[in-house]
Amino acid sequence: MINEVTNIVVETLPQIQGYVYPNESNVHPVWSVLIVIYPYITGLVAGAFIMASLVRVFNVKALAPVYRMSMLTALAFLLCATLPLLCHLGHPERNYEVMMTPHMTSPMAIFGFVYAWYLMAVLLLELWFDFRQDFVKWSKTTPGFQGLIYRVLTLGVTDVSEQSVRLDMKMEWILSIVGIPSAFLLHGYVGFIFGSIKANPWWGNVLMPIMFILSAIVSGIALCVFNYIVLTWIRRKTVNMRCLDAMAMFLFYALLVDAVIETLDVLHRGFAAEEGFAVLQTMIREKLFYTLNIGQVGIGTLVPLLMLGALQLLRHRVPEAVRRTMIFCSGAMILFGVLMMRWNVVMGGQFFSKSFRGVMSYKMEFSGQEGWLLGAAIMCLPFIILTVLVKLFLSESEQLQPCEHLPENSSKT
Amino acid sequence: MKNQINRRSSLLRMGGALAGLLTLSAAKTAKAAVQTVFVSTSAPKGYDPTKHKWLMCIDDNKCIGCGLCAEACKKENGVPEGPYFRTWIERYIIPKPKPGSGETRGEAIVDSPNGGIPKGGVSAFPEPTLPKDQIEHAFFVPKLCNLCENPPCVQVCPVGATFKAPDGAVLIDPKYCIGCAFCVQACPYGARFLNPVTKTAEKCSLCYHRITRNLKPACVEICPAEARIFGDLNNLHADDPIQKFYEKNRVQVLKPHLGTEPRVLYAALDKEVR
Amino acid sequence: MLPFKLPPQILRLVLVAMAIVGSYFVARSFLVPPSFGQYGWYRGAALAEIASREPVFAGKQSCDECHSDILHKLAKDAHKTLSCEGCHGVSREHGNNPDILPVKSTGSHCIRCHEANLARPTWLKQIVVKDHYGPKCTECHLPHQPTKSP
Repeated sequence: MINEVTNIVVETLPQIQGYVYPNESNVHPVWSVLIVIYPYITGLVAGAFIMASLVRVFNVKALAPVYRMSMLTALAFLLCATLPLLCHLGHPERNYEVMMTPHMTSPMAIFGFVYAWYLMAVLLLELWFDFRQDFVKWSKTTPGFQGLIYRVLTLGVTDVSEQSVRLDMKMEWILSIVGIPSAFLLHGYVGFIFGSIKANPWWGNVLMPIMFILSAIVSGIALCVFNYIVLTWIRRKTVNMRCLDAMAMFLFYALLVDAVIETLDVLHRGFAAEEGFAVLQTMIREKLFYTLNIGQVGIGTLVPLLMLGALQLLRHRVPEAVRRTMIFCSGAMILFGVLMMRWNVVMGGQFFSKSFRGVMSYKMEFSGQEGWLLGAAIMCLPFIILTVLVKLFLSESEQLQPCEHLPENSSKT
Repeated sequence: MKNQINRRSSLLRMGGALAGLLTLSAAKTAKAAVQTVFVSTSAPKGYDPTKHKWLMCIDDNKCIGCGLCAEACKKENGVPEGPYFRTWIERYIIPKPKPGSGETRGEAIVDSPNGGIPKGGVSAFPEPTLPKDQIEHAFFVPKLCNLCENPPCVQVCPVGATFKAPDGAVLIDPKYCIGCAFCVQACPYGARFLNPVTKTAEKCSLCYHRITRNLKPACVEICPAEARIFGDLNNLHADDPIQKFYEKNRVQVLKPHLGTEPRVLYAALDKEVR
Repeated sequence: MLPFKLPPQILRLVLVAMAIVGSYFVARSFLVPPSFGQYGWYRGAALAEIASREPVFAGKQSCDECHSDILHKLAKDAHKTLSCEGCHGVSREHGNNPDILPVKSTGSHCIRCHEANLARPTWLKQIVVKDHYGPKCTECHLPHQPTKSP
């Protein structure tokens, strides 16, 4: 058990217990930290987008202050979503082949198109319609390079008449509706990359895409909570408690559903107890004890469930400052827990032999192509992009206030 | 304003159509040119992949565990040293059940040190730790790519770099593989690995460069016990060993429940083998 | 041109989308290898390329070209299933130039198959090396005719 912890933190010698196929007795796992990060980032995108959709589609007015921030968060993470995949390739220079000759039966190839669709047809479009009139406004008032950026982003359309703004709003609403299934598709497909591997009983599971989508929603909302509190703290603004409470409520319900589905998965596996079940038991008891039982279930699910659940019951009796801290802590814990979930899925599937006769430990590199360093760098990148995006598009004066044109929209829809 | 945009868009459309036509015709001439280049390589002439259907059979009663096949495979295909094998030999030791346990047999002990290739003249398989009188059965099993009719590895390849050739061989295009390792994960038999030198996926190619020249795969050629039988189902000749194998044995495949329909058939396989 | 008036922002987006999709198809016509799709969803030329690798092991047939006498003897005895290169090593170069001699095989080659091992099938003759006579196998056994003595 202790090996697993040391293996995550420092490099230890590879260890094999039982029999593994000779090709599996490698020092390094085939998929490593980068492939853990990849579904994590994609999940954050899908989750943040779905949270933003709550405002547009389901008209949750309390969440309006974080609408733009969640959309920008989704964009920042989406721009980095393919990076870990690209970096882990043996031949990154051949990546264009995935788009040029996509093999239609491969989940990874279809992901390329789902990604492109989601980025260009959903997220960028919706953001463009949302920001268009601001672009026009800012392009007239901002001088220099920044002004030029705004001017380019208007795509040369300067029409901000009432009629065209109304059209923008309508388009946004349509795009949000298209966006929800697209977000599900995006992350469902990531789940399917693992769920489609029938050779691996840890992965090959019909519930896998569903579990990925649910945990994605949870992690996305948690990220928005995290970003919102950090952003208000940096800008020394007061947190809009109505908005934060609403986020906490959605976070609680999403986490609850996620926990139920994951429990269902565990129960089903235990009941069916198919071939290779013995080796899966060893995984839960030994190889993944800390990351699964403590990280994913304890820190990532049970504690936040209790905290957020308590807040749902006793919202008005808990002072604001305590509530804020509790919500922030649950958000951070959920973010950690979902990362652990990705680790457990990706690495868990490689900790045992496909002969089901043995388990292996791997040497986790610190530097190098699949090392911790690159993983951490890729994980930091979306936050850097988000900072730039927030600087460019979320000006201090109007940010984190309800969008002024939202009531119009809601009255119409 | 509106007029201007319309004119611009129609111009754009015309330009796009023109560019498309030009590139299409350019691509067609390039295609013809490149194809002649490939025909003039050192590839064996006169081999038509659509006229063959290869099959590998393994008579497990015959394997003596010498490791010559695994060694020859590494030499023939330039497989790197280390835990990289296109074919390997496993040893199964099945202990007698504990008295009174009510079981038919003990839990199988499997090993395949260095893929079964002896190191420095010393057999790869050490003496079993169990005393002889506690062993019920012991046997070797050669393993290789199972040449699935429905290969899960091909199914998941995002770019079409691995494929099932018309003659049944599952191959990898080393110039096209992006090295994503999805196929390594998808293969139920552990037959694939990432070549640390070329950074592409690699596996048994049935010695494609040999079978297209009317030679047997290296492992079949070298096997001293004729445990491996190789043949072409589309060109069976009189008393073909494949035909004899079929007539003589009841055959089995590995992990049949996965629906991969392997074209590597085993005779005399034990239930522990997977 | 159009029967209805397209709002300017939509028109602009349609143009951008057309440019993106168009450049995808242009890129595709350049970047897809010419033989792609010849037999299936892969580069058809890959078959010839994979087949163009030079074989390493020469095979029993090519030994037969000069050493048919030995192969004839071999075929009559228990070692008839053995391949020449199993004991003598890769002999492609020897085939091309008889002056390059193949590896001289030693007793360890015999042991490789005939050392007693529980997992070996019982039809195979096996010895426990330390209980078996002799430092040299060929003193008593002819490798090409193992049932005969020299």
